[in-house]
Amino acid sequence: MIVQPDLEFIKSLKEAGGDTLKKCYQCATCSVMCPLSKEGKPFPRKEMIWAQWGMKDQLLNDPDVFLCHQCGDCTANCPRGAKPGDVLSAIRSYAYTFYGWPKPLAKLASSAKGLPMMIGIPVVIIFIMWLLAGATHIPSKEQFANIGYTNFFGHWEFKWYAKNIFFIVLIMVPSLGLGLFSAFMGVKKMWSTMAKQAGVTNSFRPSAVQFTKEFLWPSLVEIIKHNRFNECGTHLDRVRGHLPLMLSFIGLFIVTLWSLLKQDVLGLIWPSLHGPLPLMDPFKLLANVSAIALLFGIVVLWNNRKKAEAELDTQATFYDWFLIWEITAVGVTGLGAELLRWGGMPTLGYIIYFLHLVSVMMLFLYLPYTKLAHLVYRTTAYAFEKYRESQFVKAE
Amino acid sequence: MDKKYCAYICAGCGIGDALDLEALSGVVSGEMSMECKTHEYLCGAEGRAFIEKDIADGVNTVVIGACSPRVMTSEFNFGDDKITVRANLREHVVWTEVKPGEGEEPNAEAAEFLAESAADYMRMACTRAKKTLLPEPYQLEVLNKKILVMGGGLAGLTAAKEAAAAGYEVLLVEKEDKLGGKALGWRKSFPTGAPWTDLEENPIHALIAEVEGDARISVETGKEVARISGAPGQFNVTLKSAGTRTEWDAPSRVTVDEREKIEKGEMEDPNAGFVDYTKINPDGVMVGSVVLATGWKPADVSQYEHLGYGSVKNVVTNAEFERLAKEGKVPANVAFVQSPGGKEDDKDFPYCNSVTSMVALKQAQYVTEDNADGKAYILYQHMRTPGSMELFYKNAQNRDGIFLTKGSVMKVEEAGGGLKVAVEDTLLGEDIDLNVDMVVLAAGMEPTTLHQNTINLAYRQGPAFNDLGLFDGYADSHFICFPYETRRTGVYAAGGVRKAETMEEAVDDATGAALKAIQCIESVDRGVSVHPRSGDATYPDFFMQRCTQCKRCTEECPFGALDDDEKGTPLPNPTRCRRCGTCMGACPERIIGFKDYNIDLIGSMIKAVEVPEDDDDRLRIVIFVCENDAYPAIDMAGMRRNGINHMVRFIPVRCLGSVNMAWIRDAMSAGMDGAMLLGCSYGDDYQCHFVKGSEIASKRMENIGDTLSTLGLESERVVAEQVAITDYDKIPQIINDFVDEIVEMGPNPFKGF
Repeated sequence: MIVQPDLEFIKSLKEAGGDTLKKCYQCATCSVMCPLSKEGKPFPRKEMIWAQWGMKDQLLNDPDVFLCHQCGDCTANCPRGAKPGDVLSAIRSYAYTFYGWPKPLAKLASSAKGLPMMIGIPVVIIFIMWLLAGATHIPSKEQFANIGYTNFFGHWEFKWYAKNIFFIVLIMVPSLGLGLFSAFMGVKKMWSTMAKQAGVTNSFRPSAVQFTKEFLWPSLVEIIKHNRFNECGTHLDRVRGHLPLMLSFIGLFIVTLWSLLKQDVLGLIWPSLHGPLPLMDPFKLLANVSAIALLFGIVVLWNNRKKAEAELDTQATFYDWFLIWEITAVGVTGLGAELLRWGGMPTLGYIIYFLHLVSVMMLFLYLPYTKLAHLVYRTTAYAFEKYRESQFVKAE
Repeated sequence: MDKKYCAYICAGCGIGDALDLEALSGVVSGEMSMECKTHEYLCGAEGRAFIEKDIADGVNTVVIGACSPRVMTSEFNFGDDKITVRANLREHVVWTEVKPGEGEEPNAEAAEFLAESAADYMRMACTRAKKTLLPEPYQLEVLNKKILVMGGGLAGLTAAKEAAAAGYEVLLVEKEDKLGGKALGWRKSFPTGAPWTDLEENPIHALIAEVEGDARISVETGKEVARISGAPGQFNVTLKSAGTRTEWDAPSRVTVDEREKIEKGEMEDPNAGFVDYTKINPDGVMVGSVVLATGWKPADVSQYEHLGYGSVKNVVTNAEFERLAKEGKVPANVAFVQSPGGKEDDKDFPYCNSVTSMVALKQAQYVTEDNADGKAYILYQHMRTPGSMELFYKNAQNRDGIFLTKGSVMKVEEAGGGLKVAVEDTLLGEDIDLNVDMVVLAAGMEPTTLHQNTINLAYRQGPAFNDLGLFDGYADSHFICFPYETRRTGVYAAGGVRKAETMEEAVDDATGAALKAIQCIESVDRGVSVHPRSGDATYPDFFMQRCTQCKRCTEECPFGALDDDEKGTPLPNPTRCRRCGTCMGACPERIIGFKDYNIDLIGSMIKAVEVPEDDDDRLRIVIFVCENDAYPAIDMAGMRRNGINHMVRFIPVRCLGSVNMAWIRDAMSAGMDGAMLLGCSYGDDYQCHFVKGSEIASKRMENIGDTLSTLGLESERVVAEQVAITDYDKIPQIINDFVDEIVEMGPNPFKGF
C-alpha cells in the first residue's frame, strides 16, 4: 500500500475537535478499554495512527469510526492526553461533510462560519412564504385560544384544505425530503466505499426484505435499547440524556405523522379536524410528554458537554454544539409557543412560532451534514457490521 | 611506630546474646595475647568514649569485634595515625547463622559452631592488627598541575573552559586548523532547558570565542599528540604537526615473545627509529592529567545493501543531511531510517546510542520548517529520548508533517525520479510503501579509539588503551560505575570518544571529565589513590633484589602502571597505580605488597584460623571475598538473616586479581578443606572495579587446579565464583552448595601434617 499523508485532512481533524491526535504514541491503552476493540482489530489505536498519518480513505471507510459511541473510556485513560474519543468524533464530523450531498450545503453546515447562512436560508424561505401567503393576521386573544397558530400563513377560503397547512407542508415536506434524500446519497456512498474496502462483492445480495429483517431491524432494536451506549464507562451519564431525547424524537415523529394524516388527508373530508388538538387527546399527551422529555434530555446533554469541557478538557466544537443548540431551539420554541397560546399572548406567540418553524426546518435541512447525521450513518454502520459478518459476505 | 594494642568486643545487635563474650575475650587475651574489653554498645557515644579513653592512655592499634567494616565507619575512625581493624562478628557470624528449618531440631553443637567462628574472626583481626603498618603517602618531587585537553571540539572546549574556570592551566590541542570540531557542521542543537521543546542555536561559536579569550588556556591547532610518557602529576607530552611522523611518536607494543625474536634477529623492531618509551622529552610539555576528547567518526553504512547507501542516489547519512540542512537544501519528502536490520533484528545502527533517535526528530523538523507541505517519516524500531528529551520527542511528534511508525525497513530503491521505501510490520497494520525525495540513514558515531591509538601513550603495555575489543572500542573502564575513568589512570574521556552522545550530554560529560582530571592532580598531590580506592594512601612496594624479571606484573596490571627497564625489571609508577594489588597476586616471588595488605599479612590471617582435626562437622573453608561487590552482598545476606554454613571463613581482598596463589597453598597446607574466590563477573558484562582482576584470577585458578592435582588433592577443592552486588540472595546457596561438595569429598588428607 502506498501511503500519501493528507496534511489538509490532519488540519481539518485538529480544527474539528481532534487537536490532540498527534499526541498518540500507540500504547493501545484505548484498545484495552474500548468495548468495540476486537482481537486483530485494535480499535481505536489503529485509527489514531491513521489519523496521525492523514490517511483519510482508511478512516472514512472504517465502520468502527461510526460505531463509536464516544463513551469516553479511551480518552479518560489515555496516558498521553491524545483523547481518541474526541479524535473519532472529529473524524465522524469530517465524514458527514465528506459524504454529504450536495457538497456546497454539506460544506456550509460544517463550520460556525456557515451559521448565519444556515439560519438565513429557512428565515428567508419562511418569510417569503409568509409574504406570499398574505402575511399573518394575528388573532385576538379570544380567537387565539381556539385557532392557535393556524392563521400564521393567513386563512384559506377552501375549508377542506387549510392554507396554513398547505404552506407548512410546502416548506417542511420538501425540506425533510431533501434532507432524507441527501442522507440517502451519503449513506449510499459510504456503503459502497466500505464494501469496497472490506472486499465485499455483489455475488450474493440480500433482498430488501432480507436486508431489513436481518440487518436493519436488529440494528434499530439495538440502537433503541441503547445496548452499546450502556457499555460506556466515563460518559455513561450521556445515556440519561440521549435515551429520553431519542424517545422524544420518536414520539414527536409519531405525533407529526398523525398530524399530517389528520390535517392533510382526513382534514380534507372533515374540515373540523383542523386546529390544535385538545389537551387530553392521546396524541397531544404524547406530544407534550415528548416535549418535556426532549427538554430534559437536552439539558442533561448540555450539562454533560459543559462538564466534559471543564473536567476532561474536551475541545468545544461547532459540530457538537450546533446540535445541542438546534434541539434546544426546537424544544424551547415549540413548548414556548404552546405555553404562550395557553397564556393568551398572540403577538409574542406568533414570533416564537415563526422561530419554531425556522428551527424545525433547519433540523430537517441539515440532518445529513451535522451531528444529527449519526442517526443515519451510525445505523448504516450497525447494519454494515452485521452484513459484513453475515453469510452473504463470508460465503465468498 | 610502637604499637599498643587493645581489642574491644561489642555486645550490641544480638552479638552478646548469641556469643559467650567472656570466653571470646579469653581467646583474644590468651591465644593472641592482646588486652580485650567488652562493651554493651560500642558505636554509641559511651562506647566511643570507652575506646578513646584507652587511646588517650597510649593505645594506637584498635581491634573492634562488632559489625561489618562497611558500616559505622566514622564511629570507629580514630584518626589517620591510628590503626583500626574490624572483625565482622555481626553480619558474618551471628546474623548468618544457619537456623534450623521448621520442625527441625537445632544442631546440638550450634552454639559451639558459632563460638568457634567468632573466635576465628577475632584471631584473624588480631593477626591483621599485628601485621599491618601505617601507610606513608607517595609524594612526587615536582607536581605539574596543568591539564592537557586532547581535541578542540565541543567536549574539549568545554573541558578546557571548565578546568580553567576552576583555576587550572590548560593546554588544548586540536588536529584541525581551527577549533570547533564536528559541531561546526550542525545547524541547530537540542533544547537544553524547560520547556525542552524547541531547537536552539548551536553553542559552538560562542564557546570557541570564550576559550580563545581565556588567558589560562593555551591553544595549539594543527597539532596532535606524538606521545605521552610519564605518569599522573608528571606526564611528559610531545606535540607534533598533525599527520606527520616524528622520532617521538609513541612506540608500538612489543610483547615478551616479540622482544625475544627481535633480540635474536628473527623479527624487525617495529619501533626502530623511535625514541625509547621510557625516555623523557626535555622539549615536551609537563602536565598533571589528560582529558581525552578526540571525538568520533561517522560509521560506514554502505554494508547495508538493501538501504542503498553508496549505490542509490539521495540516500545519505544523518551527518550528511545535517550539512545539507545547514546549507538550506532540505527536500520536502524525507524518510529517516533508524534501524538497518529489516526483519532480521530490531537493532539500531551500531554506535548510535540514543543520539540518532533525537537527531531524526531534529532533522524531521527541518523538513517541515523549510517546506510548507514538508513530510518527514521516521521509521524506527526504537525511539530513545532519555530524560527531559521525552518532551522534545512529544513536541516533534505533535507536528502535522512528522509521521512516526515502528517498522522493519526492507528496501530503498529508485522509483519514478524519487525513492521508494518499503516498510513492513508497521503500526499502521499493513506493509507500506513511501514515495520520498531523500532517505536519511541513522549512522552511528564510532569513537576515534576504535580505529586509532589516539592517546599515544609511551607505556610498556603499548600506546593504545588495552582490551578495546571487549569494550567495543571505547576507552572507559566501566561505563556505568566509572564513566570518566579510562583504563589509564590520569586520562579521562569525554564526549563522542566516550559514548555516542548529544551536544548537551557532551557538555555535561566534559565538565565531569575536567573535574576528574583536577581530582586526579589533587589526589597525586596528597599521595593517595584515585577512584575506586579514592583516598587510599598505600601503594605497592617492590623488593627488587628478589625480582626474577618474569614480567607478570608488568603484563597483568590492568592500568599499565608498570614500565620496565631493558632487563625487564619493573619500573613502578605509583601515581598510575589504582591499588588493586593485581601485581601482588601475579608475583610468583611474592615480593610485592602494601603496608596494610600483603602476602604475609593475609597468609598469617589464614594460618590464624583454628583447623580442628578429624571432625567432619568442623571442616574449614576459606573464602577470599572481593571487597567491592561480594563483601557487601554477604553483609546484605546477613542483614536478611540468610544462613551460611558455619565452616566457612571470609577474608576480604581488594580485588580477586590480588589473590596470590600462595594463599591457597597456605590454606591447604594449614589443613583447610577448600577455598573459594568470590568476585565480580568478567567478560562482556564485566563488573570488576579494576576491569581485569576477576578474569585474571580465574586464569590463575586453572593453573592452581593442576598444582593441587599433582599434590594429590582434588582440584575441585578450589573454585572461583562470579557474583554481583545484587546476588545477596544467591550467595548463601552458592557457598552452602560448595560446602556440601567439600563434605562429600571428605576432609583434606594432609590435615595435621
